[in-house]
Amino acid sequence: MSAPSARTGYVAVLRRDLLLAWRRRGEAALPVLYALIVATLFPFALGPEGALLSRIAAGVVLVTVLLAMLLSLDGLFRPDWEDGSLEQLLLAPQPLGLLLAAKILAHWLTTALPLLLASPLLAAMLHLPTAVLPVLMAALVLATPLMSLLGALVVALTVGTRRSGMLLALMLLPLMVPVVIFAAGAVSAAQQGLPFIAPLAWLGAALVLALVLAPAACAAALRIALDA
Amino acid sequence: MNAHSSPTLWNRLVLWYHQMGSPPYFYAFAGRWRPWFIAATLITAVIGLYGGLLLAPADYQQGDAYRIIFIHVPCAWMSLFTYAFMAGCGLVGLVWRVKLAEILAMESAPIGAAFTFVTLVTGSLWGKPMWGAWWTWDARLTSELVLLFLYLGVIGLYHAFEDTRQGARAAAFLALIGVVNLPIVHYSVVWWNTLHQGTTVRLFGPSRITWSMLWPLLTMALSTHLYLGWSLLGRARVALLELEGGKDWARAIALEDAPHG
Repeated sequence: MSAPSARTGYVAVLRRDLLLAWRRRGEAALPVLYALIVATLFPFALGPEGALLSRIAAGVVLVTVLLAMLLSLDGLFRPDWEDGSLEQLLLAPQPLGLLLAAKILAHWLTTALPLLLASPLLAAMLHLPTAVLPVLMAALVLATPLMSLLGALVVALTVGTRRSGMLLALMLLPLMVPVVIFAAGAVSAAQQGLPFIAPLAWLGAALVLALVLAPAACAAALRIALDA
Repeated sequence: MNAHSSPTLWNRLVLWYHQMGSPPYFYAFAGRWRPWFIAATLITAVIGLYGGLLLAPADYQQGDAYRIIFIHVPCAWMSLFTYAFMAGCGLVGLVWRVKLAEILAMESAPIGAAFTFVTLVTGSLWGKPMWGAWWTWDARLTSELVLLFLYLGVIGLYHAFEDTRQGARAAAFLALIGVVNLPIVHYSVVWWNTLHQGTTVRLFGPSRITWSMLWPLLTMALSTHLYLGWSLLGRARVALLELEGGKDWARAIALEDAPHG
């Protein structure tokens, strides 16, 4: 019997992860709730002054969404590692990078997409000017897949370890600095009425690069961390 | 390789490389060289500091306050050099699975983190009188801070694993990702208008610094490199003994050092 094609494997992994997420759909709401609560804390900490809030709104939404995604990253490989299905993926005849790409896509669909849908609400709560909202959404659409890809790369290295959320943040933060700079740069340029295409183009270029390289690097990281 | 123009030198290098990979050989080698390294470190540090703090003229603009440069700049160079060394050793360890390369990579991480920390502290001590602020979100400062986070991430990941060698390989991979990331971070933060002065000492073309200030700086740079050698050899010796605790050669050393009777 010949092995199923790479496409079949990709679809199967994607379908399985989405089904698992659907069966536990209450969990998908948790990152959104987290982002909502963090965004609510800012007016308490800084005061409810509208002008100040609207100036920092885009940055707060951006960082809040990234932090919410960071918290969900530990669940990307750990359940599969604990029940042994991750090792089955490692043994599969299909290229591991492709199967991991399916897992990363499923993670983005179940974690980042709800956050993306909620972020106009967060932006409105913080008085972000309506004209800037499309730029913020464009920046988030480009930044969240980058976060998923880079996060998967880093979290793959920690699979074999004890639970270590702080460590994950420490490892991922340096990687996210350029993403935050370009995304925030686009929004603040739009807020000042300046051209904002260049930082978005940089984000897009980084995303294309990460789409090609990150799944393969993620596969290498997983093999190193699990000594397989 | 027989057709090589100087086969004896090449053969010697290969022999040396393979001998170095052997833990007992490296242990003895490191033990022999450490006193020389620390002696050379201290001598060059005394000469460099004497030249820098007493002989070099005061800066026409910054007065005597600039003299912290003789600590700050060598440490900043070393923070990058140590990272490159760590990543290089990590690559050798990942590709050829050389135990000693993994150990050298992991043991150089805390030293590099210390150099980065000293750079940040001396930089902020220097920044207070010159810029009027302990810290600014300038490109170089921010990149150096991110470098510190990278070091801490590597150290943290290394210690998160139960198995030392597995941890070393995972952390070496993270160090390699950092090599790709550092230039990206640097150039993305360069966007912000920077307060930090530009490059003064240049490898190519004339340096924009007078010789009486340059030679103590270079002497201090040499001293910090020697310090890295001394510290790294010591740390690697301890790590080797820990890793190879069950082997005969490590046991022989332990019995040798134990009090008789």
